[in-house]
Amino acid sequence: MSILLDVKNLRVDLPTERGMLHAVRGIDFQVRRGEMLCLVGESGCGKSMTSLALMGLLPARARRSADRLQFDGLDLQAQDERGMSRLRGARMSMIFQEPMTSLNPSYTLGDQLCEALRAHRKVTAAEARERALYLLERAGVPQAADRLRQYPHQLSGGLRQRVMIAMALMCGPDLIIADEPTTALDVTIQAQILRLIRELQQEFGTAVVFITHDLGVVARIADRVAVMYAGEVVETAPVDQLFDQPSHPYTQGLLRCIPVRGKTLPGSRLQAIPGVVPSLVGEVQGCAFANRCSQVRPACSVAPPFAEVAPGHAVRCVTAAHPATLAEVA
Amino acid sequence: MNAMTDSRAWNLPAPAATSGSPGAVGGSEDIALELCVLSRSFKLKRGLFKPAGSIQAVSDVSLRIRKGETLGLVGESGCGKSTLAKMLLGLLPPTSGNVLIGGKEIDPRQRRALARRIQPIFQDPYSSLNPRRTVADIVGVPLRLHGVGTAAEQTRAVKAMLDLVGMPERTHRQYPNQLSGGQRQRVAIARALVLRPEILVCDEPTSALDVSVQAQILNLLLDLKAEFGLTYLFISHDLGVVEHLVDRVAVMHRGRIVEQGTREQIFAAAQHPYTRMLLASALTPEPGLGLPDIDREAFA
Repeated sequence: MSILLDVKNLRVDLPTERGMLHAVRGIDFQVRRGEMLCLVGESGCGKSMTSLALMGLLPARARRSADRLQFDGLDLQAQDERGMSRLRGARMSMIFQEPMTSLNPSYTLGDQLCEALRAHRKVTAAEARERALYLLERAGVPQAADRLRQYPHQLSGGLRQRVMIAMALMCGPDLIIADEPTTALDVTIQAQILRLIRELQQEFGTAVVFITHDLGVVARIADRVAVMYAGEVVETAPVDQLFDQPSHPYTQGLLRCIPVRGKTLPGSRLQAIPGVVPSLVGEVQGCAFANRCSQVRPACSVAPPFAEVAPGHAVRCVTAAHPATLAEVA
Repeated sequence: MNAMTDSRAWNLPAPAATSGSPGAVGGSEDIALELCVLSRSFKLKRGLFKPAGSIQAVSDVSLRIRKGETLGLVGESGCGKSTLAKMLLGLLPPTSGNVLIGGKEIDPRQRRALARRIQPIFQDPYSSLNPRRTVADIVGVPLRLHGVGTAAEQTRAVKAMLDLVGMPERTHRQYPNQLSGGQRQRVAIARALVLRPEILVCDEPTSALDVSVQAQILNLLLDLKAEFGLTYLFISHDLGVVEHLVDRVAVMHRGRIVEQGTREQIFAAAQHPYTRMLLASALTPEPGLGLPDIDREAFA
């Protein structure tokens, strides 16, 4: 599969009262056409800033830089605001956690769905309505024709998220960025919405960058995974490999601290990761995870490179990249 | 079986579910908390000239929690689990039914006496701590309100409790906005425990926390239970966490308990179709299993 999105050394800096906050600190990743890449990490790891940086939707005071930021061969850094507006909604669209923040409460769903298409394509109102109806039905919205006349507040949270998914698909985009789209939903609705996203992604061949903090969701939906910590991608691998052979100590720690049926003894102490995430205000010296890592060694005082340990599996950790040297030290 | 024969406690007929259902506890001497056919409805205003409707948030819930036991209460949003928690804490009077602590009915007018026996921990450690008080102040409030000990004794008790929940000394003079989410939840736990209650009602205590921090707080809850012999009512939508922490599980749907049983009974052999659907929806971190096909509408 060809590369749709190519990101090299992406950085996002935010000036704050206390100094420069390095929210995203030089990350590399690629998204292939039609694949589901999960960006997973805890709060403050930079996953949402990454998605906003890709869409050109960062807050005005934020500074973005990258060695490469290419979408289907197009240099996103060379696009002005008009160029980005032409891309957004048409070729790359976004689904947010809380649909109410992205749906306009004073317009009907039909108006909003059709606008998404008519802003970018020369179609008649009737053609737009037909596509809206088709996508609402595909997104599992019952009585779709009636819904077109309704307002966002008349829908439940699960239905609103289905409408958002339909809206994101209106122009047939190549890429959808979904930022925690099911976090606010009940578990049964979450399972339904995830299944819907996966089905539509495969049916339409849309690439998805799926942002989440939930490793259960990652395991069930991803093709590939990029684990983020303190503004960096610390490990990337195909989903099976990441869960079978997690190589970064942070990934290993995350997987160990979730209780799993049949693996964790009920009532036993969980293996929590000690300590807290370092502040990203100012420069981080060496490996950002070193102060919480059980495998820390002198080499960790130098920022580790992002090194491939197996085909398609890269890790930002000297211990994982050179396990033999660790044995020598020990 | 004092509670069962106390007519004051049983002003409504005893439901068959309490004694006969699988996983229900027998004997009353070791019962820490008992809910007897507890119900709560809310009036709905529908307009000036329309008749007021009502919504039944909790319907005939009967539950028993043994001393030192952890009962998990699971269900989706709107199922009534938070309304139930408020009634237990005396924050909301039931429409009918009773709450018994240690076999005695609680008088909703005696909130203070109740607070010494049952305390809450809430989901959001950001809104549940007073932003203008220091950590030590926040944890000392219950002692001052209840006039427990001298000022010096209160200071010592606060420090001891903060040490126990893992708050380093330098944080005791800090304000909530200087703390991480996990530290705030530790403070909320210290405040809940400083009066040495028997029962903690934990309402989604780790839902707002990152997973690595969640593990630290769950470990703390396990340690504190062992230390003080606490009884927990653990309300959560996270079935992985529930399975790890609880002895028994009650499943709530549309205001009713649809199934209850031991952890093994519920997680290995759930009987009620709603329980089975909830279990199927839980996404364990196991790739290759794919996404379940959930027919939620069957329960709408």
